[in-house]
Amino acid sequence: MDQAELINKEVSIVAYYFRNNSRRLRCFPKCMEYDGRRVRFTETGLVHPTQKGKRMIHVFDMTDGNADYRLEFDAQALSWTLIAITDNQYSSIAPKLRTAHQF
Amino acid sequence: MQNLELPINSESPQILHIDLNSCFATVEQQARPLLRGRPLGVTNRLTKNACVVAASYEAKDQGVKVGMTFSEARLLCPDLIMVETDPPKYHYVYKKLVRIMRSYSPNITMKSIDEGIIDFHGTRENVNRRPLSVIGHEIKQRLRADVGCWMRCNVGIAPNRFLAKTAAGLHKPDGLDIITYKNLRRTLEGMKLTDLTGIADKNQARLNAAGIYTPLQFLDSPAPVLSRKVFHSVCGDDWYRRLRGWEVDDAEHDTKTIGRQFVMDDYSASEEKVRNRLAHLCESTGLKLRHKGFCARGISLYIQYKSGDAWHSRKAFKSTFFTSPEIYRRATLLFNQHPRLDNVVMLSVSCYLLQPATTNQMSILEEVNKEIRLTEAIDELNELYGNYTVTFANSLGANREIKQKIPFGSTRYFELLCNRA
Repeated sequence: MDQAELINKEVSIVAYYFRNNSRRLRCFPKCMEYDGRRVRFTETGLVHPTQKGKRMIHVFDMTDGNADYRLEFDAQALSWTLIAITDNQYSSIAPKLRTAHQF
Repeated sequence: MQNLELPINSESPQILHIDLNSCFATVEQQARPLLRGRPLGVTNRLTKNACVVAASYEAKDQGVKVGMTFSEARLLCPDLIMVETDPPKYHYVYKKLVRIMRSYSPNITMKSIDEGIIDFHGTRENVNRRPLSVIGHEIKQRLRADVGCWMRCNVGIAPNRFLAKTAAGLHKPDGLDIITYKNLRRTLEGMKLTDLTGIADKNQARLNAAGIYTPLQFLDSPAPVLSRKVFHSVCGDDWYRRLRGWEVDDAEHDTKTIGRQFVMDDYSASEEKVRNRLAHLCESTGLKLRHKGFCARGISLYIQYKSGDAWHSRKAFKSTFFTSPEIYRRATLLFNQHPRLDNVVMLSVSCYLLQPATTNQMSILEEVNKEIRLTEAIDELNELYGNYTVTFANSLGANREIKQKIPFGSTRYFELLCNRA
């Protein structure tokens, strides 16, 4: 099962922007402050846009090597939201998180 | 009789088929680096009875197949990780793939969310002068550069769509194969009948009954045998041409029906709950209908029970309709005739006898015009704030249960369905 821990909280992000061949700047969220700790991202998995009504949301799937993080950047409000964290121990933590209603 | 003398198409291959490998699982592994190299299954709903809609190659190596339930898959592969589908991700990859394909030829066809065809006819003289194998490798490279390093795709090159798809399936994952008139027989030699797209158990039985047991025998069968003895229809001629590399699959089909179905979240749901799900399905069907610019004259309803029985009813009307309340009202007329309502497993609503909505005239009944204007206003609000922001009162809460899942086959409603609230 998917062991994502839903967070859905606004977070503070330090992002780098790179110029690439296309017209748009490429964004790389480098560092996130959440729950009193600092997470340094090492790799971007996938960045894809999605819509909430007419609002454009950029979804960043990031990793720091220990967990996968799903971040959303609201292009209108210019705010970052941490949506979910998934531990790298995908299978072993499954029994702890699995609850009756999931089955 | 002309078909009897049809030779194998000796034209140089101009069709390039691209197939993303285990698309949804690969995209999930691309998005979540910690899942890479691990057995992964993608499902539409995280329950033990939900089936695997895509499995990573690591899971496939351990025997997990698409269509298995999670419980079955877990028996074969105890470390299997299941994740729920995330349509916007696949939509993004789909759009990237379309963009890459379109840069080579305007003549592209997306067969489904994860596979497409580029027809290079007419572009080779001036634009795409390089060999198609070089272009195929470039497409693989561009996909990795544009989406991510974990993305892989199979490329098949052949004179027609069927053989190009066959070529794309020869060496998974990340293969590139070419089928021409020179190696056609050699390629078919190593295959089984069921390896051919479109030949499953029933067609295999038909072919076996006519003494055809291998793809080579299939290729060597004359057209009259295929059309009169095996398929008893024009399909036999199509297969005769298809196997010889002639194009028969480039036809475009009109939309005949628009609908939505849902496998119930609760098999012992009360009538109120079933009506709630029905209302949502009608709303969703109306949304699709209006998105495509159609109105309908017929509605059909299908209910499947846990025992395996099913009930079906359909009705054609004189007047056309396209608003959600009208679809719900007409669907309710059918629904009220249902024989029983215990243990409903699946519910399906679809509209048929479609025609372009532009032919609609304004009604002389003010109530009808009011309803149309109301629907337009609601659609505008939902477009602005996300689908189902304004919804039927009796379908409240249903959109939390009936989540939009990835569309198999057609990708016609992708843009519409990815607009979330």
